Amino acid sequence: MTVGTPIRVEGGGTSPSTRAVSVGPRRRRRIRWTSAWLFMAPSLLILGVFVIYPIVVSFWYSLHDWTIGSDVQPFLGLGNYLALTRDPQFWNALVNTLELTVVSVAALVVLGLALAIALLRDSFITKAVRSAFFFPTVVSLTSIGLVWRFLLDPQLGLVAGISETLGLPAVDWLQSTALALPAVIFVDIWKNLGFVMIIMIGGLKGVPAERYEAGRLDGAGDWQLVRFITLPSIRPTLLFATLILTIQSLQLFDLVYVMTGGGPLFATDTLVTEVFREGFVNYRTGYASAISWVLFALIMLISLVQLRIFRYDDVD
Amino acid sequence: MKKTLTAVAAASAALLLALTGCSGGSAGGAPAGPVKLTVWTGFTGGDRPGYDQIVKDFNASHEDIQVSMSVQPWDSITQKLPSAWLTGSGPDIAAPSSDPNAIAQYVKTNSVLPITATGSGASEVNVDKIAPALIKEYTYNGKLYAVPANYATLSLYYNKKLFAAAGIDGPPKTVDELLADAKKLTVPEKKQYGLVLADNQTIQMWPILQWLEGGDIVDSKNCSVLQTPAGRASLSPWVDAVVNDKISPVGLTGAEADSLFSAGKAAMELNGPWAAPGYKSAGIDLGLAPVPVGKDGKSVTLGSTAPLAISAKTKYPEQAQEFLAYWTSKSAQKQFSLTTGFPTLRTDLADDADLKANDIISTFTEQVPDARLYLPQVPQATQVDANGYVPLIGRITRGQDIAAETAAAAKTINALTGCSS
Repeated sequence: MTVGTPIRVEGGGTSPSTRAVSVGPRRRRRIRWTSAWLFMAPSLLILGVFVIYPIVVSFWYSLHDWTIGSDVQPFLGLGNYLALTRDPQFWNALVNTLELTVVSVAALVVLGLALAIALLRDSFITKAVRSAFFFPTVVSLTSIGLVWRFLLDPQLGLVAGISETLGLPAVDWLQSTALALPAVIFVDIWKNLGFVMIIMIGGLKGVPAERYEAGRLDGAGDWQLVRFITLPSIRPTLLFATLILTIQSLQLFDLVYVMTGGGPLFATDTLVTEVFREGFVNYRTGYASAISWVLFALIMLISLVQLRIFRYDDVD
Repeated sequence: MKKTLTAVAAASAALLLALTGCSGGSAGGAPAGPVKLTVWTGFTGGDRPGYDQIVKDFNASHEDIQVSMSVQPWDSITQKLPSAWLTGSGPDIAAPSSDPNAIAQYVKTNSVLPITATGSGASEVNVDKIAPALIKEYTYNGKLYAVPANYATLSLYYNKKLFAAAGIDGPPKTVDELLADAKKLTVPEKKQYGLVLADNQTIQMWPILQWLEGGDIVDSKNCSVLQTPAGRASLSPWVDAVVNDKISPVGLTGAEADSLFSAGKAAMELNGPWAAPGYKSAGIDLGLAPVPVGKDGKSVTLGSTAPLAISAKTKYPEQAQEFLAYWTSKSAQKQFSLTTGFPTLRTDLADDADLKANDIISTFTEQVPDARLYLPQVPQATQVDANGYVPLIGRITRGQDIAAETAAAAKTINALTGCSS
């Protein structure tokens, strides 16, 4: 039995069922604002105090040479933003952040999809392999960073030990300015691959089998099935995965902080590690807020572009 | 409608208060029982038992004041303390950082209380009995804003077994011997390093080498001298030893350098007294010697101290100052040195027989008169270190040109310190 929610309509009384609403002439629903606000108030208040207010205030900070607790907070206007354009460390962090994001998101989507296709069928083995890939996802980034830092240690680490056993030289993965960022990106991919794989499997399982049957009847090959049926069908999944991964990568902090601290020589410095350093080590709150707002604008811009590229339309 | 809205506002406010942990608390009146003071420190290392003992002894001898110390990583304190003290929700007393220069920021934001209970009494901070360099470090505009929580010097740790294997009789006595021994003790086939030199996330080791060679970082006007002929000459032999003779891996953090020494893969390391328990438990055949004398025949090493300051918003300024007086007292400091191996920060304990009888304490104490602080009271010292000195050492040990890099570092440092010459 289905019970429709009684809806109060103008003229008194309630309709006997929801069906009644769609039948007669269109009537204005009276929205009970008071109750709505009552239900929304707690979360609105929490959002307002802990999210919206700090965001607005951080913009105000970014317009000042703000130091927490200082008697005077000189107003700079857009001075902090202009200083950013001349700051080589900011540009270095921006380039590192973009490099990290582009490489890791692209690799994760491609590898995640490939893995999902390979492990799509349900069997004991595929379930076990999926669990193995998913396991790093549930471990905190800090723990993963510490473990990998130890593994990659050129003197005492397992990776160096294996290399030497194979007759290869030990590599200074995290001490080399050329290799540190690729090493961090690798660990980031390793950590998130299982998560992307699970999302992709979910998307792939939602594609109706008839589409593939129809495709095959029309003479499509394997690649054509993937290109013209699978990829368009999982477009919402791809959008979700890339959007989440992009935002996550642009905001990456814990892994970098634990593995390299942004070093060596700022080679792995990201925008968020720079925000941390300026805000909490150098106490330049205004400058750190300006970097945060640039990051916010960057995330907005990239997200809008992604939403445009992967836009979902009814034809799909 | 109005009633409902009022109810909404009241319910939401109550919920918010509950969520934020705010409450009216007990209404006014003097607190019953002893005054409770909270202390935050970042002393998580091998010296922690020494600090715990001070608090324990203080609580046992002061029924009217009870102190609880929260030990957390320095990173956490650095992040939380500025806003915690600003809003009055922080601890009564804290060691804001392991970097003594960090106190300048708290002075600037009026977050710390000037210490006025000074003198020769038992419940006063005995300023004239504490090493003058430390008092000077924590004095701004004529007011004392912190006391030293500790005072350590760096000495030369060496692995006796590796020295014997290399046919070296004892620790080096001069900087030239130090360099020669470091090269001799480096055995690439065994992945053995002569002298491990950390350059980031560490107690600074490179300034000691520079001082021994007759160089420095900044002069008395806070202007960089790294780019001067003396500055470059003080760096080049050690850079050459790292780049060409591989006496140390490049880019080590302090923890990584310690791990190498603990693993028996490094023959020497410059480090403080906190490292000794770890090296001993790692089974190293440990030797400890003063830092060798420099080119000018004089001894020099790095002195390290962490500040201990009182919140400007504490409700108990008198009791907090009494605690700092106890912390720096003769009896507490003697006990602390005996527990941790740290040299004493008090001048009246320099000749104490019990401290002298302890080899580790006496080695570190012996160097107190020759110790120099790192960038003492240099404006924006934290940034001078992070943006100037650390990147410089990182670049030149990776083979980049010393002249060009010291010139670039000088520019960065002078802009930060405000040097105009």
